[in-house]
Amino acid sequence: MRDLAAAALAITAMLSAAHAQDPDKLTSGPGSTLTTQKCQICHELGHVTRSRLSRGEWADNLKNMRERGAPLSDAEIDVIVGYLAAYYGREPAPAPAPDTLTARSDDPIAKLLADNGCTACHDVTKKLIGPAFREVAQKYAGDSGAAARLAAKMRAGGDGVWGSVPMPPNAGLSEADAKRLAAWVLGQK
Amino acid sequence: MNETRRTFLGGLAGAGALALAGDATRALAQDKPEAAPPGTIPNDAIKKEKAAAMQYHSERPLTGSVPAHEHDFDVTPSDRMFVRNNLLTPDVNAVQHRLTVKGLVDKELVFTMEQLRTAFPVVTLQGMLECAGSGRTSFNPRPSGTPWSPTGGMGCPKWTGVRLADVLRAAGLKPGAAHVAGQGVDPGMIATAPAVIRSVPLTKALEENTLIAWGMNDAPLPKVHGYPLRLVVPGWVGSASTKWLATLTVIDAPFKGTYMTGSYVQPKWPVEPGQKMPAETVSTEAWPVKSMITSPAPNARFKGTDRIVVRGRAWVGEGSIDQVQVSVDEGRSWQRATLGPAGDRFAWRTFTFDYQPQRFGYHTFLARAWDDRGNGQPVESAWNPLGYFWNGVHRVGVQVVA
Repeated sequence: MRDLAAAALAITAMLSAAHAQDPDKLTSGPGSTLTTQKCQICHELGHVTRSRLSRGEWADNLKNMRERGAPLSDAEIDVIVGYLAAYYGREPAPAPAPDTLTARSDDPIAKLLADNGCTACHDVTKKLIGPAFREVAQKYAGDSGAAARLAAKMRAGGDGVWGSVPMPPNAGLSEADAKRLAAWVLGQK
Repeated sequence: MNETRRTFLGGLAGAGALALAGDATRALAQDKPEAAPPGTIPNDAIKKEKAAAMQYHSERPLTGSVPAHEHDFDVTPSDRMFVRNNLLTPDVNAVQHRLTVKGLVDKELVFTMEQLRTAFPVVTLQGMLECAGSGRTSFNPRPSGTPWSPTGGMGCPKWTGVRLADVLRAAGLKPGAAHVAGQGVDPGMIATAPAVIRSVPLTKALEENTLIAWGMNDAPLPKVHGYPLRLVVPGWVGSASTKWLATLTVIDAPFKGTYMTGSYVQPKWPVEPGQKMPAETVSTEAWPVKSMITSPAPNARFKGTDRIVVRGRAWVGEGSIDQVQVSVDEGRSWQRATLGPAGDRFAWRTFTFDYQPQRFGYHTFLARAWDDRGNGQPVESAWNPLGYFWNGVHRVGVQVVA
């Protein structure tokens, strides 16, 4: 029994070590979704995962990224610096934890949008990095196949229909949630 | 250095575009997988033209270099030149490309490639370019940024072009002119990304080795290295050498953009390792004296009776190399290496050191260069928050077996 528990612990440790070493995935924690979405607009996550910086250095880094064009509000920078200082700081990182900080609403659609980082690039009425949801709805008005295609694209990523920036994939978004979001987006006209 | 002088008028009158037809055909033949945004060159196509020894650190932006033992050449071959983009690699049409010179000048000038080639003396020279962050991984704690090895992110090819000084004199400098800012046409991942603009002071801009170059190792610039036109500011941090150059603006002070004030800066006064960037900073300019051992490779095996020839390269961003020393006892004592011929002012210099092993086992070689102003390489470079200017002594270990 003790051997079994030890083995289970060892496997858990191996899994979490493997998770921590995947250079293209951030450790799950409060703020990891927002951080993932914002950072990978311009560069792969390896630039983040290879770094171990103090809070002050991460703050300088985010300020520099905003100067280089990253769409980041002060509030978003606070969340991202807090996350990076904890999980990619000079001190040992805490264990992976559920990402809860970006979900702040009881509205299920608002929660889906926030949890999946959609609002990092999209607004309902304004064009940000990606098109406004309203523009998408208007473009596909009357197109009966649009909902299914849009849902698939939310999960697999896009190829830059709306400009030169491709939409990153969101493999963590379930098929059912993608369909709900697609239906909602197409209703924004 | 060789020069070809043609007349300014002749160049302007000649229908020069035809001379570039070969380049244009080459541009059209480029592979264009769909993944890269329109108007840019995909990384796969770039990597096909680079040596297998290249080690890449990131894809967006593309960064990569070869390790020291793959740099054992007097002139760096183009396929081994380091790659450090800040943005994407643009696919530029050389026939349509223009260079504009504006700002504090008597007359604004616009050149086609052919006009540039024919209006001024053409110069070929060897010159060192090294990313400011080359060697960053040696700093402890490790700063953020491209994880260059101690000798990563550098190269010393031959460049062909015209002197920036000649072009600036043709435009005429107005009183108050102090800096020249280069801007390329490389696009960012997003529309909000500012252009990469770096400026250099007039003293360096007017120095005769500072070029507007279209050639690298007697061929057109490879696309990732700035085709069809780039600045070459040899000896200085690589970012000063704007690639895909389209605009030169003469200004009255250092440019104030993020690539001048947020990146490529050092603390004005050194800070304790691990501290963030203080308010007072200075721009990174010339590289301090540095050297690397390019042969033997780490962990090379030698028979006990073999002589070992240690070979390497030494360079400095201002001044010249005075001597290179090698230590075979971890720095307790140093012996002079033999310097190869001095070449162009900002070219690296080859050194060799013959060694007869006296025992079996692991042996190490340390190289330390000195410049003509008495500056030697430190054991460890002063820590700074962005990890620039690592020039600590280079060390390579080998095995001597029976």
